[in-house]
Amino acid sequence: MTAPLDALEPAAQAAGSAEEPQARRGTLRYALSKAAGALFSIAMVIVGTFFLFRLLPGDPVRNLAQGRNMTPAQLDLERHRLGLDKPLIDQFFDFVGDTLRLDLGTSYEYKRPVLDLIGERLGPTLLLAGTGLVIAVSLGLWQGTHAGWRHGSRFDRFSTGASLVLWSVPTFWLGLLLMMVLGVGIGPIPGLFPFRGIESIDAPDGFAYVLDVASHMVLPTLTLVAVVYAQYLLVMRSSLLEEVSQDYVTVARAKGLRDDDVRKRHAVPNALLPTVTLVFMRIGFVVGGAVTVETIFTWPGLGQLFYEAVSVPDFTLMQGTFLLITVAVIVMNTLADVVYHMIDPRVRSA
Amino acid sequence: MRKWFARLAALGVALLIAGQGTTALAQDPAAGKKVLRVGATQAMDSMNPFLAVRLVSTSIHRMMYGFLTVPDSKTLQPSPDLAESWTTSEDGLTWTFKIRQAKWSDGQPVTAEDAAWTFNKIMTDEAAKTANGPAVENFESVTANGQELTIKLKAPQASMLENPIPIMPKHAWESVTDIANYDAEKYPTPSSGPFIAIEHKKDQYVKLQANPNYWRGKPKLDELQVIFYANPQAAIAGLKTGEIDLIGRLNPPEYEAILNDPNITAWNTQGRRSVYLQINHGATTSDDKPVGDGHPALKDVKVRQALHYAIDKQKLVDDVQNGLARPADGSIVPPMYKDFFWEATGDTKVGYDPAKANQILDDAGYKKGPDGIRTMPDGDRKLEFRFSIHTDTPIEDKLAEYLTGFFKEIGITLTTKKLDSSKFTEETGVSGLFDIAISGWSVNPDPEEVLATHLCSRRPSPTGEGGGTESFFCDETFEELYQEQLKELDRPKRADIIKQMQERLYTQAPVIAIYYTKDLEAYRKDRLVSITPIPETDGILYGGSGYWPWFTADVKPTGTAAGAASAEGGSNTGLIAGVVGAVVVVGAGAFFLTRRRKSTADERE
Repeated sequence: MTAPLDALEPAAQAAGSAEEPQARRGTLRYALSKAAGALFSIAMVIVGTFFLFRLLPGDPVRNLAQGRNMTPAQLDLERHRLGLDKPLIDQFFDFVGDTLRLDLGTSYEYKRPVLDLIGERLGPTLLLAGTGLVIAVSLGLWQGTHAGWRHGSRFDRFSTGASLVLWSVPTFWLGLLLMMVLGVGIGPIPGLFPFRGIESIDAPDGFAYVLDVASHMVLPTLTLVAVVYAQYLLVMRSSLLEEVSQDYVTVARAKGLRDDDVRKRHAVPNALLPTVTLVFMRIGFVVGGAVTVETIFTWPGLGQLFYEAVSVPDFTLMQGTFLLITVAVIVMNTLADVVYHMIDPRVRSA
Repeated sequence: MRKWFARLAALGVALLIAGQGTTALAQDPAAGKKVLRVGATQAMDSMNPFLAVRLVSTSIHRMMYGFLTVPDSKTLQPSPDLAESWTTSEDGLTWTFKIRQAKWSDGQPVTAEDAAWTFNKIMTDEAAKTANGPAVENFESVTANGQELTIKLKAPQASMLENPIPIMPKHAWESVTDIANYDAEKYPTPSSGPFIAIEHKKDQYVKLQANPNYWRGKPKLDELQVIFYANPQAAIAGLKTGEIDLIGRLNPPEYEAILNDPNITAWNTQGRRSVYLQINHGATTSDDKPVGDGHPALKDVKVRQALHYAIDKQKLVDDVQNGLARPADGSIVPPMYKDFFWEATGDTKVGYDPAKANQILDDAGYKKGPDGIRTMPDGDRKLEFRFSIHTDTPIEDKLAEYLTGFFKEIGITLTTKKLDSSKFTEETGVSGLFDIAISGWSVNPDPEEVLATHLCSRRPSPTGEGGGTESFFCDETFEELYQEQLKELDRPKRADIIKQMQERLYTQAPVIAIYYTKDLEAYRKDRLVSITPIPETDGILYGGSGYWPWFTADVKPTGTAAGAASAEGGSNTGLIAGVVGAVVVVGAGAFFLTRRRKSTADERE
């Protein structure tokens, strides 16, 4: 069944293949210019990060000393220890120099290197936000495709409606609700899933440990997916709707192809383009974790770390986490540009 | 698309089995042991006691390490801990402590050398000052001779016996050269307190084991776990499911959420926190230059007193705190500290009396305008004050509402100004950009620290660096009394001076205490057999001063009564998980089957 279809494709691409080497050079030049742009953005972020966070009200030394008996002289000593008594411009050059050497400094509150703190939290965050993204994208695209293809059907109305309702629900509220219903249990229904942290206190070893972590992931992932999958669904649905009325779809149908094949092999690949951009952009944000979800379910990730840093304000820790998050977003955006360029010939010719 | 579904279904089933597997597995390792699990809504910042400043960290370190003295479990007065006894020289400058014959958990003897090393480390190493630097500020020298520890002071200090520094084992710590970067994550820890830390999973939990060498004897518990939750709702949920056995530091709404749970005992006793209004009575920096934009009327002590008369504290307790507080007829030291607590009586007492408040303002020349709002005696400016509170604190919102009503009765307008906590600290403690602000303090058994927050020297520096003032207060009488109490080694006499200081704060009204909040906690009555608070009558469990509750606590061994109940819950969970799993599998199967039929039908066409 698939063989004839595959046979069609090379013919369709034949026209493009003559320009191939030139196009590849073009892609490379395009990628390099994008990379240069990204580097410039990162440089601006490094500068911006420093001054932006200094604008936050609050004296970190005073806040860290809160509730403890410290004389003004001791507070001054602490400021000196953290280098906060230097002129701002000196602090800035120290920061830039250290950052270029990949030294993100020592956290004021944890008294440990920021890089270590980030390293500890990165794994759990990637696990949770990454799994959430994969599921949300898969679910969103699947539902979006089907909703768009059978536009106006009961499935379309139901799935679009449900996703929009979940999209509008505050994350915190939904998380707590899921915690109460599926974590604590209601009435005769006992709690089904753990709702604190990434593993049990007396976590087992080996495969049982994998299952333990998986069970801890259920509620946070569910919350994360529920509130975001609507965006993939809607983008996919609307771009598929645009494709449905295109001539090539009619042609495919006229050839007598099965409805599923028209959708899968013709309409969806074209409709996927805007979604690719969206997905790449979201991958960038994965590093930032999900502050709210991490806070509800005590997930030891970067989002929570950043939140704590802001409340001190722990300048070094904030700079470090913020830098990581923005760099990830910039890199992923650049990649999205390049990938888009590669998969969509229209962008290339433009 | 089919594969897709199969994967999703498989994942669902795997997760369900996982849920089942863990409940079954988690029961095993702890069987027969006495384990108490305490919930905390803050994670540890550091395991190194020289660096740790968070409350949860110091609480855990109190379980692990001995001190020279600890508050007595009944009176809260300093009582022997690692120091068995002590003497003071005539001039109050030399203190000699006799260190008890005790052992570290690793079998090494506890000596005066350990204490001397700890104090000297903090006195000589900048990094080691991070947590408790101020506590050795007044130390001239510390020397050891066998079990005898001698501390020479620069100036007499009555609060000497309240030293907050845990004594560290020299033999385990002297090899640490870089204190600033030492995380002390080495287990088991050599400890001299009732518990030994055996594991710390960052941002997740700390596990402690009973110290068999503890000088008071081995605690009744085998293991104590402190489990972290990133928000109070999750901690409450953890208590309800039995993931934890006890939780402290509850707010009234959280406390009310567990009131009707048959398995939970609600704990409501006197607390260590006083809540007060901070009044900008003319904020100045440490060089006596005015700072900020406080309303000029508040410089007049009569206006401040009138405000005090206008506040119905009982109503605030009933309506704002849902009755879970005690109205304040004193100042910043709560009644829990009987020795130091001062309460106004007779003529000094300011009760709720709006008529008197109006009278005071009328007499002082603050005339009411046609709109009912008073103006300054020179008619210049209306008495319109701002009330600074924190964002996202419903209790403070409610408080603001009530105060606005109270002050309206006496011709004063109050408008609420909400600030996030950094900005709040900045405006009410450094830049003086406020009229009236909410504040509060959790007071330690020795109130010296909270009294010090009202000293002239605590005002911000001229360059705008905060010194930790709670009121911008700078009062000669108060300063003199503070110096006097520092030198007074006779406890009752010193308590008298401290009471006079509170009276001064009460009558001058740079701060107006409104209530003392209750200590609200909760524990599983199906798990806990017994626990003794500190102080023993009407005291605190978590967040109290010291390890007393943890040393005395007893729980049912896991695997018995309550343990069996939760195990049953586990199998119940398994059953339900199994049913849900089966439904998913059957549903998925049916889905595939119909799909297959449809596709074969398609193909036939």
